Amino acid sequence: MSDGTPSRRAVLAAVARGFPLAAVPLALAACRGVQVLGSPPPPPADIRTLSAAITAEELMVARYRATIAQLPASDTAALLAVRTVQAEHIAHLAQLRSRLIQPAPHPSATPRPVTIPPGSAGSLLQALEQAEQAASDRLIGQLLVLPPALAQLFASIAASEATHVPYLRQVPGAAS
Amino acid sequence: MTTAVVEALQTALAAEHSACYGYGVVGAHLAEGSAALASAGADWIAHQQSRDQLAAMITDQGGQPVVSAVAYELPFPVTSASTAIQLAATMEDGVAQAYQAVVALRQPQLRSFGAQQVRTAALRAESWRGSTLPFPGLPPASLRP
Repeated sequence: MSDGTPSRRAVLAAVARGFPLAAVPLALAACRGVQVLGSPPPPPADIRTLSAAITAEELMVARYRATIAQLPASDTAALLAVRTVQAEHIAHLAQLRSRLIQPAPHPSATPRPVTIPPGSAGSLLQALEQAEQAASDRLIGQLLVLPPALAQLFASIAASEATHVPYLRQVPGAAS
Repeated sequence: MTTAVVEALQTALAAEHSACYGYGVVGAHLAEGSAALASAGADWIAHQQSRDQLAAMITDQGGQPVVSAVAYELPFPVTSASTAIQLAATMEDGVAQAYQAVVALRQPQLRSFGAQQVRTAALRAESWRGSTLPFPGLPPASLRP
């Protein structure tokens, strides 16, 4: 930083402003070089927040996968709705990951599988609705530490997740 | 007080003005006594309240709130209840996008307010469209391929 090496925050911000991606590998190599000299400093708040949001989206995608496995194949309306929403979460995850410059995930960092208790389609959908509302509120609560472009992405994903609640509730049988 | 704050609030206010106009068009094409007309009426009032709130915020910042146009060009012809409902959903998409200008501000209260308004507009869009969007308020060009 004082020696002219860009901080990870600067790398993140530069990418957010659309600077060429070709500049990134060099900057990351520089970071690793510094870390050899001592324990790395904790990542700045915006990177920690983005990492947490990525983990939360991974868990959400896994939660939908587990729900799809539990829904009866005959409940085509619920399956269609749940798959539609899961596709949006996969899109959220891809956008969040694209904002983070990070080394390949450590093997231990793979998300743990989500297990959900068996239940009726109605109770499975209600559990998803609760998870969506909580995820939306959590993202809105995390906006303040973020640079503007990332705050806009978080606000957008929070809005999308909030709309999943009424969308899932309108599935026939969701209220049972 | 900064120019950036006033500009962002003006962007949102302009969108609220167009929504107030647009819901008048929407309501004119919905059946008397229908649930859709009741929803349109509620959303219209909500946009009027947001419009007034934004105008007051701009005045507090020392700015001069933008005024409504006399009429707005509709994005497509509205000739039926179904096209009216499409217009309502499209307008809410536009309102969500306008409030993203407020989300980009650094002031905590304004950023939170903007995010709540993006979410509220997205919820109204969902109620009109019956389906959801992955990225309310973000134009496709702002997303990574």
